[in-house]
Amino acid sequence: MAASPATVPERPRPRLPATARRVASGMAVPVGSVVLAFVIGALIVLATGGDPLAAYQGLLCGGLGAFCTQGENPALQVSSTIVFTIPLIMAGMAVALPFRAGLFNIGAEGQFLAGAIACTTIGIHLGTLPAPILLPLVLLGGMAAGALWAGIAGVLKATVGAHEVVTTIMLNYVAQWLLRYLIIGGPLQLASGTSKSSPIGAGARLATLLPNDNNLVIFGLPSSVYRVHSGLLIALLAAAVFAFLLWRTTLGYEIRAVGQSQKAARYAGVSVRRTIIVTMLIAGAFSGLAGAIQIAGIDHNLTDKYFSDTTGFDAIAVALLGLGSAVGIVLASILFGALHSGSGVMQADAGISSSLVLVLQALILFSIAANFLGAIRLRLPGLGRAPAARPPDSPAAALMTEAAAPPPEGSPSAT
Amino acid sequence: MGHTRLRFLGVVAAAFMLVAACGSSTSSPPAKQYKVGLVTDIGGLNDKSFNHLAYVGLQKAITDLSVKGDVTESKSGDDYVPNLTNFASKGYDLVIGVGFLMAEAIGTVSGQFPNIHFAIIDGAGTDAKGNDLKHANVQSLFFSEQDAGALVGVVAGMLEKQGKAKKNAHVIGAVGGISIPPVNHYIAGYKWAATMEDPGIKVLIGYSNDFVDPAKCKGVAQGQISAKADILFQVAGQCGLGVLQAAGQNSVYSIGVDADQKDSDPSVILSALKKVDVATYTAIKGVVNGQFKAGALTFNVANDGAGYAIDNFSLPADIQTEVDNVKAKIKSGALTPPSDIPA
Repeated sequence: MAASPATVPERPRPRLPATARRVASGMAVPVGSVVLAFVIGALIVLATGGDPLAAYQGLLCGGLGAFCTQGENPALQVSSTIVFTIPLIMAGMAVALPFRAGLFNIGAEGQFLAGAIACTTIGIHLGTLPAPILLPLVLLGGMAAGALWAGIAGVLKATVGAHEVVTTIMLNYVAQWLLRYLIIGGPLQLASGTSKSSPIGAGARLATLLPNDNNLVIFGLPSSVYRVHSGLLIALLAAAVFAFLLWRTTLGYEIRAVGQSQKAARYAGVSVRRTIIVTMLIAGAFSGLAGAIQIAGIDHNLTDKYFSDTTGFDAIAVALLGLGSAVGIVLASILFGALHSGSGVMQADAGISSSLVLVLQALILFSIAANFLGAIRLRLPGLGRAPAARPPDSPAAALMTEAAAPPPEGSPSAT
Repeated sequence: MGHTRLRFLGVVAAAFMLVAACGSSTSSPPAKQYKVGLVTDIGGLNDKSFNHLAYVGLQKAITDLSVKGDVTESKSGDDYVPNLTNFASKGYDLVIGVGFLMAEAIGTVSGQFPNIHFAIIDGAGTDAKGNDLKHANVQSLFFSEQDAGALVGVVAGMLEKQGKAKKNAHVIGAVGGISIPPVNHYIAGYKWAATMEDPGIKVLIGYSNDFVDPAKCKGVAQGQISAKADILFQVAGQCGLGVLQAAGQNSVYSIGVDADQKDSDPSVILSALKKVDVATYTAIKGVVNGQFKAGALTFNVANDGAGYAIDNFSLPADIQTEVDNVKAKIKSGALTPPSDIPA
């Protein structure tokens, strides 16, 4: 960047544009990836004989309650989007935090299920306790279970150098099959011939933001159709805790230091092993909380739908798209929640299969990971106004490279 | 999709008609067009099974009854409630949920929209504990799966008795998805009829605990094949396609379920049919004719809601005679296949 002659005193004017430019350039990759995905998605719809405008109008209506043409209720669509957003925020942080420490947590799904299982178990067995005791208990139980699940991978990484990608993926399977056992023939099964658990006690349930009443009409529909629950506040609080932890605490500094360079961190007196374990514990707690909130806020029991749940995998895309920052993750979660919620309306209105949304999500993730925009920028210098200080890689690519860092030195596999 | 453009034209045409109607006197209101929303379960429209059949029934209603029919495929269990609510909130006349897995969602949403009609395949509108809420706006479309199971069971039993199966060990198998009532009804009829034809037969029953992943069903099927089973009946939706493949790879016979699965694998000799298309069409017709009835509507062999199809196989004449004989007896009530799996 050409330095302006420092003859006059610092004017305040350049500060704001500089910040704005930094934010804008930071957002270029994720926003560009989303735009690119939508463009390619439109081409796919066109190629298969559909109308991309109708498809995206349906998505906008179902996701954000805007541009509805066929009598959809905007408030209902917004509520539905928020419901899908809540678990993604917390699971997204469960992936993003280990990224910062150079760890790739593929196990958010397993930790999510562990949290859901713990919440349900406590909510059933202590179901008669009053809400002020039971509700914190089920949420903390979910966090503890998620932390335990991720902690196994963390301890294995820190002690014997077992790669966390492998261990977390395997732990996903363990959690999925544990769930199958528990509700089909196992101790949590409601009755034989069912594939679900009993419902949790009334005290273990998170309140909906609007009254859960079939007879009270709000925005033209019974208020019980709006399923937005107080888990939203918990998710936003968790995002604030995440940001504070990462940028305002010693632990956060240590996590980032380990992620940048384990050698340098150790030289600076940071215990790499301890940091890895603690990072995974906290990440697991985030994901476990997501699972607990999904049970306490929406489902109230474990059902076979959790066999095909993908929250923890979507969370990987959310963390990458959100560039591992709290605000970014919240925004990315809203986008994914809106896509999820919009897919049904899109199919009902425009006749475009709701699978298009999965294509869009994959395209977003793909273009972030492949960093197409970086490549385009290199070819067309006119577009590239990135500050010279920026690293050449996209942040996501940088996160991925860090995640592929070797196991901590001094561990048996490295010696 | 081609019909999007058609629908657009339809909207334009409707708009013109509306304008025309406003211009003329409003003496005769146009005939009401009924709106039907169909929500699939996670199997999706291409499950070659009951979601597909429900869609076939809806298409027939669109053609024959001139209803407006829209479909939403659920991508996960999280989508059931929002997808049903979306149609209900838009004032659709009938919202159909396909599958037992949607029972709780139907129970919730039907309570919120007492003026909208709901129908559910294989289930009722239930609370979280699985109790039928008996809402006055919910119709349950049940099937006597045991009838269809019995008809294919007769063939399996006869083949074993006559030594016409591949291994001639008097062992047959059934692979269920999750142990839920509709699955067990099929297996109950199958085992009952096979035992009736060949009293010395051994019927192996296994569950994959899954309805989606063919690999899981394939594993169960291979276990049964290595235990000498040479006719395998799949009752596991999309997962069960793995059973048909396993049978094909091991050169034994297999039996499809719900829809005619002739094309899924050359090993498929028969399919036990559950005519979800008939049920869906019947439910829509009921609403259009103003004859919606809450509660259970059962489809069986007697009302042609259950049956069988002969696939990649030529059925020997004596077996055909016996199947026809048993079918007639079930129709007349002389034989009643059990709904619980016999010991």
